[in-house]
Amino acid sequence: MKRNFIKLFSGLAIVGFSALTVSCSDDDTPGDQGENPNPPSETERWFTVAGGIMDETPGNGNGGTVIYSVSKEDIEDPNHEIRLFENGYQVRSQRTARLQASEDGSTMFNIAYGGDSGGEFSKYLVEGGDEFVPTGGVVNISQYAGTAPRWVKLFDGDQTGVAMNVTSPQVTTDDDGNYLYTRGTATAITIDLQDALISNNNDFEVPLSEEEEAQGFHIFRLDTPVLNEAGDKIIIGTWMRKTDPSTGENDTNDFERLGSKAIVLDYPSLENPQVITSTLGHGDTSGYRSFNSFLAEDGNIYQATQRDPNGSYILRINSDNEYDNSYDFSLDSALGVQGAYVESWRYVGNNIAYVMYRHDGSAPSNFNDGGSSQSFLARVDLSAMTAENVDLPYDADMYFQQYQGFAVYEGNVYVSISSVGQDGHVYIIDAETGEATEGAQLINEPGNHFVGVF
Amino acid sequence: MGQNSSENQYSIQGYVKDKNNDPIKGANINISSTKHTFDVQSGKDGKYFQAGLTPGVYIIEINTGSYLEHHQIVLSNKNLEKNFIIDESKNALDEVLLKFTSVKSEIEKKGFAVNVIETEDASLRNIQTNELLNRTVGIKVRQNGGLGSSVDYNINGLSGNAVRIFIDGIPISTYGSSFDLNSLSPALIERIEVYKGVVPGHLSDDALGGAINVVLKKDTNNHLNASLSYGSFNTTQANFNGIYNAENSNFFFKASGFYNYSDNDYEVWGKFVRNILPNGRYDYVRAKRFNDAFESYGAVTELGFTDLKWADKISIGYNRSDLYNEIQHGAFMSIPYKGRFTEAAANVFNLNYTKTDIVKGLDANLTGIYSQRERVINDTVRWNYNWYGERSLDMDGDPILRPNGAQQGQPTIETIDRDIYTFRGGLKYEVLEGQNILFNHMYTDIDRTQDDIMRSGLERNFMERRYLTKNISSFTYEGSFFDEKLKPTVFTKFYQQRIKKIDPVVERQNGSDVIVFDEFSRSISETGYGGAISYLLSPAIVILGSAEKAIRLPSEGETFGAPGENVVGNSDLNPERSDNFNLGFKLGPYKYLKHQISISANGFLRDTKDKLVRQTQTNLNDAVQTAPFENLGRTESIGFDAELNYMFDNNLNVLVNVSKFDTRFANRLDSNGNVLSIYDIQIPNEPFFTANANVRYSLKNIFQKNSLMNFYYNLSFVDSFYNIWVPRERRGIEEFEVPQQYVQDAGVSYAFPNIKLVASLDVKNIFDRQAYDNFAVQKPGRSFFLKLNYTITNF
Repeated sequence: MKRNFIKLFSGLAIVGFSALTVSCSDDDTPGDQGENPNPPSETERWFTVAGGIMDETPGNGNGGTVIYSVSKEDIEDPNHEIRLFENGYQVRSQRTARLQASEDGSTMFNIAYGGDSGGEFSKYLVEGGDEFVPTGGVVNISQYAGTAPRWVKLFDGDQTGVAMNVTSPQVTTDDDGNYLYTRGTATAITIDLQDALISNNNDFEVPLSEEEEAQGFHIFRLDTPVLNEAGDKIIIGTWMRKTDPSTGENDTNDFERLGSKAIVLDYPSLENPQVITSTLGHGDTSGYRSFNSFLAEDGNIYQATQRDPNGSYILRINSDNEYDNSYDFSLDSALGVQGAYVESWRYVGNNIAYVMYRHDGSAPSNFNDGGSSQSFLARVDLSAMTAENVDLPYDADMYFQQYQGFAVYEGNVYVSISSVGQDGHVYIIDAETGEATEGAQLINEPGNHFVGVF
Repeated sequence: MGQNSSENQYSIQGYVKDKNNDPIKGANINISSTKHTFDVQSGKDGKYFQAGLTPGVYIIEINTGSYLEHHQIVLSNKNLEKNFIIDESKNALDEVLLKFTSVKSEIEKKGFAVNVIETEDASLRNIQTNELLNRTVGIKVRQNGGLGSSVDYNINGLSGNAVRIFIDGIPISTYGSSFDLNSLSPALIERIEVYKGVVPGHLSDDALGGAINVVLKKDTNNHLNASLSYGSFNTTQANFNGIYNAENSNFFFKASGFYNYSDNDYEVWGKFVRNILPNGRYDYVRAKRFNDAFESYGAVTELGFTDLKWADKISIGYNRSDLYNEIQHGAFMSIPYKGRFTEAAANVFNLNYTKTDIVKGLDANLTGIYSQRERVINDTVRWNYNWYGERSLDMDGDPILRPNGAQQGQPTIETIDRDIYTFRGGLKYEVLEGQNILFNHMYTDIDRTQDDIMRSGLERNFMERRYLTKNISSFTYEGSFFDEKLKPTVFTKFYQQRIKKIDPVVERQNGSDVIVFDEFSRSISETGYGGAISYLLSPAIVILGSAEKAIRLPSEGETFGAPGENVVGNSDLNPERSDNFNLGFKLGPYKYLKHQISISANGFLRDTKDKLVRQTQTNLNDAVQTAPFENLGRTESIGFDAELNYMFDNNLNVLVNVSKFDTRFANRLDSNGNVLSIYDIQIPNEPFFTANANVRYSLKNIFQKNSLMNFYYNLSFVDSFYNIWVPRERRGIEEFEVPQQYVQDAGVSYAFPNIKLVASLDVKNIFDRQAYDNFAVQKPGRSFFLKLNYTITNF
């Protein structure tokens, strides 16, 4: 305090208004004191590591998103330190950004989530270190999809992104005040990733069957579209909720869930929505922050479920765009756990996928007052319907709820593995065998966590 | 004098003598206030006389040529006799101390960190009460737009619900959202007291970070005052107030009214002002705000008796106010709204009683208020709009639906009705001279019901009912020792809050569904305490210190939710606590020849725990976009503010103040004991360095004799700050920076010689610079306002 007063008096002595402009921030230029002052200018592939900064609660990632790119050589070098939070680039997003990368890792795509820039799509050329060069202008999808939009890339050679939105579902009653149904209006838009433009949009209502609607069921959220083999439909995951028909309010009691549902939409017209229903899964199919459905070489689409009463299933949608109810793959059975819950996953080819999940027996994390619990990473064989944990240094504070990025390159899967607030490593997993090799070190900061490698 | 004494003008007279009681002839006596100045000379008998003075604070300067002396006096509603005995041997014409006697300095020297703002000057100008506060050291008023836009007060780093506003000790919230500080013409205000961090016991409310107490004028002389102001953006403000006293009886009647209107269609530009084309690309534009009109009007009446045997004053009053306010955008400017607006109305009935010396030394005051408030949020327009106020079109040329169905959220016409009973009582007992004991109590009872006609009939049958009762008591001891040099105050406050919720739910009984009522209630209680001390080191140096363990109870909105703002209720909230400390000093005023200077500074510390913050969602299963508040945050604010006031010859007045408050995140460790990266980092969305400079220059006898012309200039500076946590500067953060702001205002006022009419012209934001609120919302650019103020005292 005393020092402040001295400072004050020396300030007042001058009184000149110019003195008022003296700010107390220092003038350090950002970054550059770290490991990598001169990032290599050439590599066969850039890998971008992303992390979430805490807001007021450690591990929540609501304080923004930082990215940093390293060469293939560096990411595979266990002695190389990636000081992401120290040297990284702050992406345009007030909260956790929704990141996607081009297949070759040379371009990052981001849609800002929340805040004044919410809904802004931007595209960066990856040039190593914290060099991310904005390119192609900014595109704002908030008018269609809100300032906290959900989107993914289609696997069509970096051509298209799709974002989905559902307006707040409204309760409708008949003239006598009896409950009829709850519905919102859905919007789908496609983004041309090459030209950075919105290329199409459409909105529609998605009624369920009369019987389902009378019970109060409705689609609350749509997310994680995937393109079918024929390229003429996209299959969109759903998050279902239920209204209590006797009160018109959201039903928070235990109720029997319907079979898992997805919406099939004509592509690229985004018209003609059809609802398909599984008889095996009963969870939602909307994923969380990244992909949740993948087209495999066998022409089928594989889709994970969340909040499934019998633990997550991997569902199969065949080339007729219908659920294949003969494909019965329960992760609980395959993993020998109860209440498996797929947090994030990625199909890597040859019917092999890598799944981040937690289950009822997961150790509660020290963070979030136990509201989060430990996650695992399993190699899943979709044709054999088997799953096996990858050998990693698991920890109660290691959870993948917000995980977004699995880089797949030359038969390897690159993942960022660390506990909240703890240092960790990039692991390079042999896609075929599931064998994990330690890559570059991830230097963390308390409260923050890593959300992917792109 | 020989004039009609009802003319509300008074005289000062007396004599000037030396220490031998011999009259001094020809002493120059200058009597000046901010409005007027008068010069007289003492006659050969040493006598002087000056009539035609309105009540207020005056500085009297006595100058005999070899000797200069100053006094500050308060002229209330009667003629004043003031004699001066001059000891010429004691004071040569040299550095002289000006002794304080004004109410302002009395309050400011009690030990609390308090600023008293006198509004006399402002009442004649186009100045909002909020602007006056914003220029005060240590306060930052965050207002996200023009007249009527929402306002948040930050006192030394604490803001929002931590700061309470009172009118004569009654929380302003009692009067409803349709009655805010804009509804009070500065002409009605005697002074504004700003308590920083430590709030005295007589303001019994749960003010965690400070309090703003607006003290209304108490004069009871017949007069009628009216003012009308008109300016840019069709901004119209009209006020009148009048008092009538019956002759030969103690009856009085007071009435005042206000009308405020503004289109607020000022131009905005910059990075958030862009129309989004169908393909998502930006078209940056300069546009006028098109959904931001504001209108409020109301009346305040009071009638009663004064100077009865059993009451100094007893009165009943009725206030009515109405408000209509369009909302142009949410917290950020990036998405313009059309058709979202709020309406509010309040009917307030009150009863007041004051009596001094019930028994010798015992004073009492009582206030009872019943307030009936209604507020409606209306948001039903389904389409996106661009900054030209046109519907945004999609790729096929069709209008685009808003992502949640209406402008801000889902469609709503939500009405919240509140019945509020407030009772406030105070007792003061003077145990010995200068030693007082005070007891104050405030009781508040809120009964809230809500409805939303955009919901289905089914949902509306299940709307809840909410009750909140709050009791706050305080005991205070005020002492005075060593010739009034040492003034300690200690107080303790007891807080109690009880909430009750009644929710209709459906239950299956005997095979059929019946509606039953779920009841929930909870009580919390807390004790806080604090004190203040001042020590007069030498006649013009006062050292002030104060500390409080302050409490804030969870508010009604935090407890019960605010559906219109997507806040979910949480009835398990605990109070916020804060340990607040202030240490400061006041120097002067010192006078040298015609120069006069005073300096004050205050350092502070606020350690706030269990801070109520909006919950953030991390868990996958939280499907809702709405969020409750929770007790989570801990912040620490350290800083100082300082003010320098320089006057020259009563003509030039320069006020400079700076305020630096660092509010930092104070949760230090994560669950594993590691120091968090944002520990000790400045919280986002708050400016932390501000400064103001204010100059006034007076010229007498321009155009007409006895007229007074004042020139004003104000510069306000806000340093840049960020909208995100910045634990370190890294590439990309420049997108989140709110730039430095310099805004300059100027004005001139002219008081005609008969004092009845004052005209003023103000230019705000002369250089049309971009000025922002905390979320980078742009405030009005250059604008002009003209105001006429007319006072009739002859009826």
